[in-house]
Amino acid sequence: MTRPANAVDFWRGVALITIFINHIPGIFYQNITHRNVSLSDSAELFVFLAGWSLRYVVGRPNDPTPASQLMLRLGGRAFTLYAAHMLIVMIAIAMLATAARVLENPILLEWHNAAPVFFEPATTHIGLVLLSHQLGYFDILPLYVVLLLLAPGIALLHRTAPNWLLPISFMVYVTALVFQITVPTWPTEGQWFFNPLCWQFIFVLGFSFSREYGPGGWARRNISWIRRIAWPIVIAGGIFAWFGSGWIDPTKVPEPKLLFINGKTFLTPIRLIQFLALVAALSVIYPSIERATPQFVTFSAMLGRNSLHAFCAGSVLSLAGQIIRFYFKGGILIDTVLVVSGIVSMGVIAWVVEWRDRSK
Amino acid sequence: MARQIEIAAWRLACAAVLFFGVLTADDTLAQPSLNPVPKDCQAPGSIVAADRPLINLASALRERKKITILAIGASSIGRRDSASGGYHAVIETFLERTFKGLDVTIINRGVSGELAIDAGERIKTEVALTGAELVLWQLGTADALGLVPVEKFKESTRDTVTWLKQHKVDMILIGLRYARGLATDPHYQSIRTAIAEIAKEQGILRIGRYEVVETIEKIKQQQGAPASEIELGEADYSCMAEYLARAIATGLFAKEQPATVPRPRP
Repeated sequence: MTRPANAVDFWRGVALITIFINHIPGIFYQNITHRNVSLSDSAELFVFLAGWSLRYVVGRPNDPTPASQLMLRLGGRAFTLYAAHMLIVMIAIAMLATAARVLENPILLEWHNAAPVFFEPATTHIGLVLLSHQLGYFDILPLYVVLLLLAPGIALLHRTAPNWLLPISFMVYVTALVFQITVPTWPTEGQWFFNPLCWQFIFVLGFSFSREYGPGGWARRNISWIRRIAWPIVIAGGIFAWFGSGWIDPTKVPEPKLLFINGKTFLTPIRLIQFLALVAALSVIYPSIERATPQFVTFSAMLGRNSLHAFCAGSVLSLAGQIIRFYFKGGILIDTVLVVSGIVSMGVIAWVVEWRDRSK
Repeated sequence: MARQIEIAAWRLACAAVLFFGVLTADDTLAQPSLNPVPKDCQAPGSIVAADRPLINLASALRERKKITILAIGASSIGRRDSASGGYHAVIETFLERTFKGLDVTIINRGVSGELAIDAGERIKTEVALTGAELVLWQLGTADALGLVPVEKFKESTRDTVTWLKQHKVDMILIGLRYARGLATDPHYQSIRTAIAEIAKEQGILRIGRYEVVETIEKIKQQQGAPASEIELGEADYSCMAEYLARAIATGLFAKEQPATVPRPRP
């Protein structure tokens, strides 16, 4: 029995659709995703809701999931994500190789950080397995794997010392920002695009706000005045995003600079605050959307319920979309066909997964 | 008496030479002789990199004997032997061997597949965080493959270049690479031309890697041993590193020239 549409699944579905579109750089429909009027984008929403979903595994305060079961379930989930990541990365590599051969274009072998895979395969395959080598736009799942590996610790800390979870997570976040601590890539020198030391904080925030007590309870009790503060932040963030970030010169801000500038890798405070304001401001509108567009809500929530399958499909489809756009030289017609067929394909995959589960 | 005057004159002359020597040494560097690029990379007739001054890098070299270079861009930064540093290692070794006692740090913050508009925002942040004096910006590939309109690409690239100049950071643009299949692709060629135009109008260094490999291919064909795409790819990365290292070394001594075309402001 699948659960009925709810706000979390709906917004998760929206995040998946916008990630799919944003992962086809240059496509016309990128102009209408919310990142054009927001400092944060779908990645923050996706990770926040992943943290929120942790509540379903942890159980209710009066009926908690046993610790051993919790460890097994989250560990198993992390392994599933890891396996899914490996699968889509291998498919992506094969797609780039096929496109390079068919189109007789060797540059496609070097697209999205794939060059080391083809030209230095021995070491790069070790990096792929260790998640230290990531293809461009295939870098969210490695973060998610790390977060799920941390999740048992997060859940158990929350159970044993709930007041310590957010402060510890915050301290790790701030320490990474102040000392610019990052996770390196290998064999190609660089850093993880999503720094797990920073992004764990939004995951923990998602989990904490999902609970009816503690920070989550406080937010629910005070949501009306929180929204009054949130709206100006959302509007300011929209203006800031629309007109570019020239208002803040990153060389002029005081040290530690990451506390004051806009950066996705480190999920800097300016992005995080704007995102939380966006969540607070828009948390009220789900019932209206449900009334206005029930079919879209049903569809999006179906994607959200099957987020891993939809995400994997979206990742592969977005790469296919990039190759097809390049081959057909783009244009609004091609862009429309790609977006519509991609979203429908994600929906079909999510539907098949639910149909298969119902048939068991 | 005559002997004493002669000694005094010599002392005065030596003092003057030392005095003016110290003064000028503060402003100029002894230009070392640079080894020519390896034979396989020589591309006679093609302009790989015009002499453009890297004033801020030269200043860092004089003051601290330490330079920080930020490598950033859209396409794959390290292709060959990336475990041992890729093309950065070639540049680092070349510069440290050329300028004795110089400490070169190259920080790689390349994100593959990133459009110029997104890279531009990240460059500002990374410059602030690393304090780099020189940015090596490999750009255009993702924009060309993603069919970003040329004017939009130019606008975002110009904005970033202007910002870097305002913040006294030198830059070298590394253009698109050569591939036979893209020699007649109009959008690819438009992006390639746009990078060259921006470099010219802004008076900044550009590495013409496309021109080098195109010339190498012609030479190989004339020799009756046409190169495969794989060989051309090898040549592209190894030669780019060689030319880039020499361009940096040359840029440290080049005289400042005005930009050839003043940038029209909208």
